[in-house]
Amino acid sequence: MAVYKQTYKDYEGRRTATWSRFLILMRFSYARLFQSRFLVLFLALCFFYPVGCATLIYLSHNSPALAMLKLQSNALPPIDGTFFYVFCVVQGVLALLLTAFVGPNLVSPDLANGGLALYLSRPFSRTEYVAGKMAVLFVLLSLITWVPGLLLYAIQASCTGWTWIKPNLWLARSLIVGPVLWILLLSLIALALSAWVKWRIAAGACVLGLHFVGAGFAQAINEILRTRKGSLINLGEVIHTIWGSLFDTSRGTDLPVTQAWIVLGVTCVLCLGLLARRIRGFEVVK
Amino acid sequence: MSGDRINLDNVSRFYGEVLGVNRVTLSIPPGITSLVGPNGSGKTTLMNLITGLVRPSRGRISVLGVAPSQPEKLFRFVGYSTQFDAFPKGLTGSQFIYSFLRLSGRPAAECRELTARAIKQVGLVEAAGRKVAAYSKGMRQRIRLAQAIAHDPRVLILDEPLNGLDPLVRSETIALFKRYAAEGRHVVVSSHVLHEVDMISDQVVLMSGGYVVAEGRIRGVRSEIQEERPMQFLIRCKQPSLLASKAFEQDRVPDAQRRCGVVEARLLPEGEGVLVKTRDADAFCRALNHLALDGIDIEGVIPADDNVYSVYEYLIGSEEATQ
Repeated sequence: MAVYKQTYKDYEGRRTATWSRFLILMRFSYARLFQSRFLVLFLALCFFYPVGCATLIYLSHNSPALAMLKLQSNALPPIDGTFFYVFCVVQGVLALLLTAFVGPNLVSPDLANGGLALYLSRPFSRTEYVAGKMAVLFVLLSLITWVPGLLLYAIQASCTGWTWIKPNLWLARSLIVGPVLWILLLSLIALALSAWVKWRIAAGACVLGLHFVGAGFAQAINEILRTRKGSLINLGEVIHTIWGSLFDTSRGTDLPVTQAWIVLGVTCVLCLGLLARRIRGFEVVK
Repeated sequence: MSGDRINLDNVSRFYGEVLGVNRVTLSIPPGITSLVGPNGSGKTTLMNLITGLVRPSRGRISVLGVAPSQPEKLFRFVGYSTQFDAFPKGLTGSQFIYSFLRLSGRPAAECRELTARAIKQVGLVEAAGRKVAAYSKGMRQRIRLAQAIAHDPRVLILDEPLNGLDPLVRSETIALFKRYAAEGRHVVVSSHVLHEVDMISDQVVLMSGGYVVAEGRIRGVRSEIQEERPMQFLIRCKQPSLLASKAFEQDRVPDAQRRCGVVEARLLPEGEGVLVKTRDADAFCRALNHLALDGIDIEGVIPADDNVYSVYEYLIGSEEATQ
């Protein structure tokens, strides 16, 4: 009979804060993602339009520069809700493409070969795992959506002063809320599809397919049934409706805003349900 | 004492209609415990249940008093190495250990130290800077073991940790398990390599079809089944026929305490000795003393089936035992 002395002592030193541990996933995911030249190139491309917008704002407040370019000040679009709405639409499309490229790389490799157990056999929960993976997309998509949007707002504010800021403070709020909603939706869809499909390339195709095929189906339903309700399955139109109301512009769609919010909420809940079902530390072979 | 043990109380787990494990009740003390059983017997499910990666359909589990549903508490002192050959892409051996140590909540500087120590313990110092994807099967097994021991856990749960290891690393790994056990830690391993299980285990849990077939120390389990499967002793002596006849005679003496439960005696070829089957090993050993005193020259007594291999074969079947 073996006799064992209890000489082992538990670790009693300092530990990092539990809330911040999900950020570790983010750091290591970036290290891997930025090894891709395509991603770096595409990310650089995403800043072209914001730089163009910044130039436009600068020109619209610089008469000598306009004169040098032989442009009338009324030839430039006004810097208002519609301007920022269009900015969100353009950057939103780029965010979708970036999600289709980055999103499936996040979860599917861990699920494809049972690697999730490696993460979950730590003082680390499933929620923290999903939060860590979502944070990767959140930061990346923020960099090309609401962060440059706010910078444009700041440029416009610095050019016009308090007289413009005071009546347009709500635009800053919309510039954060609108893109953050889109990022949330895209991240959840990408993670859920990545967890569901597992095969990285197929998951990327599904992210794009959900939007473009959804838009096609929505159009077909609208045409055949002579209704607008079909647009409820077009996530692009749903978010444009919400943005339209947030930026108070007539460029939005003709979907009821309340219904658009409901579709957004239901989609997020469905994605969370799918993630809760698929993100498990073990594989059941049926 | 329950705070010192891994306890499973009537635990069942079903995957839909498929049985994972059923009505498992165990109390695992410190030391090396081996889970032994054929493929699909429920060993991995049991490990996943202990580590909380699978929730039981029924029953309760506690690991040193902590429920597996509390990963923040549990994995501070539990290290788990799964059998999945899964690693995050692009990481070197040391990056892999370091990044998962950070998830355990240790400060960065300490993680670097622990990483170096774990890598040294599994003998991967030279390969630590290479990407895990380029590792051989044995090296991947070792790096998996390193991630499980890196945070110096009190409870180590290892799914087939000796698979794919070369003999030298295998013996070093076994020495590591023994060192852990000697410090009063729990080492729970699953294995198919029965002679190693026999060599290293303080106790075994034999599983088949999701049920625990037997558990405890090998000798204890063997004694329990000696009624159906008489114990075999190989006795080397110069007068095997005489010894066999005396052994049977011994069973007919009026003094019940001197009876030794011999049911079969088979003479070995070329008169080297005799193989005796008995239903009462202790009584037989006592009787052998009397026979030796009566003048039979006994050169050696070897228990022929007092090992995990035989127990496995008797309880689970010879087919799986050959795997």
